Amino acid sequence: MTTEPGSTRTTLLEVKDLFLHFGGVRAVDGLSMAVREGEIVSVIGPNGAGKTSAFNCITGFYRPSSGSVTFLGESITRARPSRITTMGMARTFQNLRLFSDLSILDNVKTAMHSHLIQRWYDAFLHTPRYRRTEARCDQDARAWLEFVGFTGDESLYVTQLPYGAQRQVEIARALATSPKVLLLDEPAAGLNHNEKQQLIELIRRIRDLGVSIVLIEHDMGLVMDISERIIVLNYGQEIADGTPAQIRSNPVVIEAYLGADEGDDQ
Amino acid sequence: MSLTIPAREPDGVLVPPNRHTAPPAPPFSWRSDRAGLSVLGVGVFVAVLLVPFISASPYLISILTSAMIYVMLALGLNVVVGYAGLLDLGYIAFFAVGAYTSGILTTKFGFTMVAAIPVTIAACILAGIVIGGPTLRLRSDYLAIVTLGFGEIIRITANNLDITGGPSGIHGIPTWAFFGWDFSKGLSIGGVFFNSKIVFYYFVAVVVVVLGVIGISRLSRGKMGRAWKAVRDDEDAAEAMGINTYFTKITAYIIGAVWAGLAGQLMAAHLSAISPNSFQFLYSALILMAVVLGGMGSTPGVIIGALFVSLAPEFLREFSDWRYLLFGVLLVVTMIFRPKGIWPATSAFPWSRDKRLGTGPKPVEQGLDPRDVADLEAAEDGAGRRDHHDH
Repeated sequence: MTTEPGSTRTTLLEVKDLFLHFGGVRAVDGLSMAVREGEIVSVIGPNGAGKTSAFNCITGFYRPSSGSVTFLGESITRARPSRITTMGMARTFQNLRLFSDLSILDNVKTAMHSHLIQRWYDAFLHTPRYRRTEARCDQDARAWLEFVGFTGDESLYVTQLPYGAQRQVEIARALATSPKVLLLDEPAAGLNHNEKQQLIELIRRIRDLGVSIVLIEHDMGLVMDISERIIVLNYGQEIADGTPAQIRSNPVVIEAYLGADEGDDQ
Repeated sequence: MSLTIPAREPDGVLVPPNRHTAPPAPPFSWRSDRAGLSVLGVGVFVAVLLVPFISASPYLISILTSAMIYVMLALGLNVVVGYAGLLDLGYIAFFAVGAYTSGILTTKFGFTMVAAIPVTIAACILAGIVIGGPTLRLRSDYLAIVTLGFGEIIRITANNLDITGGPSGIHGIPTWAFFGWDFSKGLSIGGVFFNSKIVFYYFVAVVVVVLGVIGISRLSRGKMGRAWKAVRDDEDAAEAMGINTYFTKITAYIIGAVWAGLAGQLMAAHLSAISPNSFQFLYSALILMAVVLGGMGSTPGVIIGALFVSLAPEFLREFSDWRYLLFGVLLVVTMIFRPKGIWPATSAFPWSRDKRLGTGPKPVEQGLDPRDVADLEAAEDGAGRRDHHDH
């Protein structure tokens, strides 16, 4: 089901004229972008370009100074992060933020919170519904862990895992929230070449489930390999939007990455 | 093959494509830690029920009933502090709400103790929402200070209202009576006759506490319990998982309040008199100590902590003037040798190894990828070169 980028696929997420100011600092400065169904979009840009800030505005962790974010046709500009996740937008964090005092399995089960139909009295009385939902939740959590390629003892604490496996658990946890759009903030940071190859393959398999992927990443090889579309940010503004081939040859992008004075050095 | 598996359920929930092929949960085993804990729990329950048959001295039964009340309080505070990670220094306020609600209903409105239970629970839920609503928007230190304030407000209000009896409190609170049967003629169980009423309060307290233990452990393993622990570990990540952290914290507060309220009612029936002096800050601190001492987030741990905090001063009575000094020394020594509590939440049993220290398999050593080695060498070269320039 590969479709050309820019075709008539439904728009899931739309960001319009987003501004985020911290005092005099313009972290996000008039950003507009859209994410369509089933595509893999990368957001790249030099350090401090406002990529993570934009992510945080979209997922509700920051209140944008102005602008609007629309998800599935509904405005989520001022919504709580938990509401946005429940609607179907999941995210991972740049620095791993797993629940350190929960087992690996419980980390994933916790993410099913919003679509687990279980009331407090179900747990209190161990009703049939409790047994049914817990068994399903447990099974699905194990399935997601297997899906992301986690092999190991899921009853361990996350702090006992090597870094690469923690990254896998974080993606499994995000998938367990049942997303329509998955935002990955530097998922390849700290991974070795082998793990990066696995990550690329995993991202493709997630897309094949019908989940759109938005990726912030510094590893250009990975970005060029996997993205259908790339959005380039600099100083909180979008400076380019296109296919990997278009971005690679875009003079504005080259200037942003290598500096305007690059020509003078040679 | 992938076409046969729907990617989403009818309600839009994403289905893992390998749902039916993924490895299942390991089957129940009598050798597991969970089974061991259940056996231990049943054993303790039987032992506690048998105590009056061995010795029914009013003194022993009375201190054991108080200990049960402490256990109930510690279980409730464990939800707030141990599971949800909210430092509450005014927890005794909910104990007061429960004690006063049942006391007022039974002495002034003619309720029986049993009929007062639902009203006590409702009053505690309300108190949890009223106190939790504004304070739970705060984090850590600020929350502790505000809850401390609310604890004092409740006590001072009770001290000044007429309906609560002012500083002298409420007297003549009736005892437990089930369908008109109030044990006034004593009770004979299995040929053993108990004539002192205090044994019945004890049995009622044991039943309430056992229900309390089972209820809390079940809640903590369900959806709500996972949400509490997620909020404690990382509030932002919990929000990102679709958990409304504010609502989750309020539920923890309400559950804690209900447990404390039931403990308050047990105390009102046990002592038949309550006064504002029973609800000083000292008791909030004592219950918190029981939770920290026993092991935050560990149900068996906080039970042991509560028993220690309530019974140790009694057993140290023969040291008369020295007993609180010894109590303090014991506490300090315990915390030095068991900094995570007597029965930490991270070990199955107090004597077993901390799961966190790696009883699991070691991470598999992967052969170093030559490209990684090249990266590392390049990084080291860079560092070396910088050092060189510095000198």
